[in-house]
Amino acid sequence: MSLETTFPTAPPTPPRLPPLRRLAARCMSSPLGGVIAALVIIFGVSCLLSPHFLTSFNLMIMARALAFIGLVTIGQSVLMILGELDLSVGAIGGLAGITGGMLMVQAGLDPWLSLGLCLLLGTLCGMLNGVLITRLRLHSLVLTIGMAGVYGGANLVVTKGVAITGVPGDISFLGRGVVYGVPVPFVILLACLGVVGFVMARTPVGRYVYAIGSNPEAARMLGLRVDAIRVAAFATAGFLSALAGILMVARLGTAQPSIGDTWVLAPIAAAVIGGVATTGGLGSPVGAVLGAVIIGIIENIIVLFGISPYWQSIVSGGIVVLAISFDSLARRYIHRDA
Amino acid sequence: MKIAFLLSALLACAPLAARAADTGAPLRFVLIPKTVHPWFDKVNTGAHAAADLLGRLTGRRIEIEYRAPQTADVSSQNDIIERAVATHPDGLILDLLDEKGNHATMQEAVDEKVPMTVFDSLPPEGMDVTAVGADFCEQGTIAAQRLAGLIGGKGEVAIMMGVPTAPNHSLRAQCERTAFARYPGITVVATGIDNDSIETAQKQAAAIMQAHPDLAGWVACDASGPVGIGQAIRESGRTGKVREVGLDNLNDMIQLIHDGVADSSASSRPEMQGYWAVVAAWQRALGQKTPKYIDTGIDVLTSKNI
Repeated sequence: MSLETTFPTAPPTPPRLPPLRRLAARCMSSPLGGVIAALVIIFGVSCLLSPHFLTSFNLMIMARALAFIGLVTIGQSVLMILGELDLSVGAIGGLAGITGGMLMVQAGLDPWLSLGLCLLLGTLCGMLNGVLITRLRLHSLVLTIGMAGVYGGANLVVTKGVAITGVPGDISFLGRGVVYGVPVPFVILLACLGVVGFVMARTPVGRYVYAIGSNPEAARMLGLRVDAIRVAAFATAGFLSALAGILMVARLGTAQPSIGDTWVLAPIAAAVIGGVATTGGLGSPVGAVLGAVIIGIIENIIVLFGISPYWQSIVSGGIVVLAISFDSLARRYIHRDA
Repeated sequence: MKIAFLLSALLACAPLAARAADTGAPLRFVLIPKTVHPWFDKVNTGAHAAADLLGRLTGRRIEIEYRAPQTADVSSQNDIIERAVATHPDGLILDLLDEKGNHATMQEAVDEKVPMTVFDSLPPEGMDVTAVGADFCEQGTIAAQRLAGLIGGKGEVAIMMGVPTAPNHSLRAQCERTAFARYPGITVVATGIDNDSIETAQKQAAAIMQAHPDLAGWVACDASGPVGIGQAIRESGRTGKVREVGLDNLNDMIQLIHDGVADSSASSRPEMQGYWAVVAAWQRALGQKTPKYIDTGIDVLTSKNI
């Protein structure tokens, strides 16, 4: 009888990848790798092709333009991770901005108090969306389409379509100011991104959001307060939209009824580019804002390169599709032998 | 008309031609309208006509870069203006969505020493900018008075308001109401909002005519509105019974007048606005003083003169 001895063996060494695939694998190993790689490529190409792209003035206007859409994108990305969508964010931003303008100009309230009240209004609008969705068991897409009409209509009713002028200069710093060469709206965007990003990445609430987005029924069975978290997420999106709205009022110096008209599709596209799954449970606000940076650069270079306005939609849409495809193809390239 | 343009531009430009020919680099003007729209394509056509003429006269090429926002939104337009300023063009030619909402961005252009000219809109107060365009109030008043004459000074009328937030549209609507108020027999029974969309205007006009079977006539405040109204009149079989006085000179509007669906149109002259805006921008780029306001006038288009 022979006694067979077995010795522990080292785990098999993974096959060494070619240099290009190794680089791609390193980029893709991070959840943000794809969007950062796409961003670097688009930024590099823009620098090479336009001498105006890297000027301080152009970088400043890009940062400021990003701030408004970025704030809305943060809120929308949290909702998308939760498996929801809010198509009324633009209308909430517009309504909050108009209300802020009316409180300051027509009611003569202190500008800072008005700002606080319009942020409260935006939060309440978002909360109302959340409550209606959870209580009536409606799909967020359907309900928020209707609520966009309600908030947008309220905006037109109170303003009769006319801009509110004479906004006090006290708050103009929020929209037009610069701190150490950085536009104030961009600083506010970074602060909001820091707070929401931290909550999503490092707190139980953030983990609950991902859990609900991945499987709401399982989350409910685990005892998570799914409805409360949904309402809180919609309220956060409403707050951030209202903040973008009032910052835009501070930027323009008037409260325009058209504020927010363009804040619906771009944040969703930005979140998707930034790796947020439309089915929920995946992605991050940081990635979504990086997606918004990509869209901002694309819009910038369209003007810098002199592309015809009739081609703008095709070009910007095409580049967005390319950016998303780049991420998908790179992942397939890395794992093709796996 | 083109000959008149050529002659007048020749007279305006002759003293400056020699100086302009001194440098070889082309002058670059960025033309930014309110939004993508056929009316602004006509402005662009006029701008290119002026650029071609000035280029031929002076030997220095002029490039027109047309940058239209996809939607009529002040913040989107401001973004485009800022991005254009970043390229340091020799001139910006703007149709402002809102003089106050655009003010801060225009100030940035001033700070960057980019000369500006506005058309089809009023410049911000206190800013030294030449404005090229027609009198919006006069245009609305002409349309309303003509309709009042067509319906014998009595009956129900409706106004299609265009984009309610656009200052020129709202001013036309206001002046049309004022003009109708001078006729005791005329009542404004409905107003529609088409947001400068022909399809929306058609739907709104059809619904309003259903609700007001005795409606006698229509006026509009934008270029798309009267085209949609005309389609609704034709589809409802009320051509000749419901009268329409349109606005501007889109091809569809001219066809409606040809077909007898619309009586006429109070039209601004978009090609001329583009043309003279380029002439003013060119003079500014050369450091010349320019007029405060260039009135390009209004045409009343009827079946006899189109």
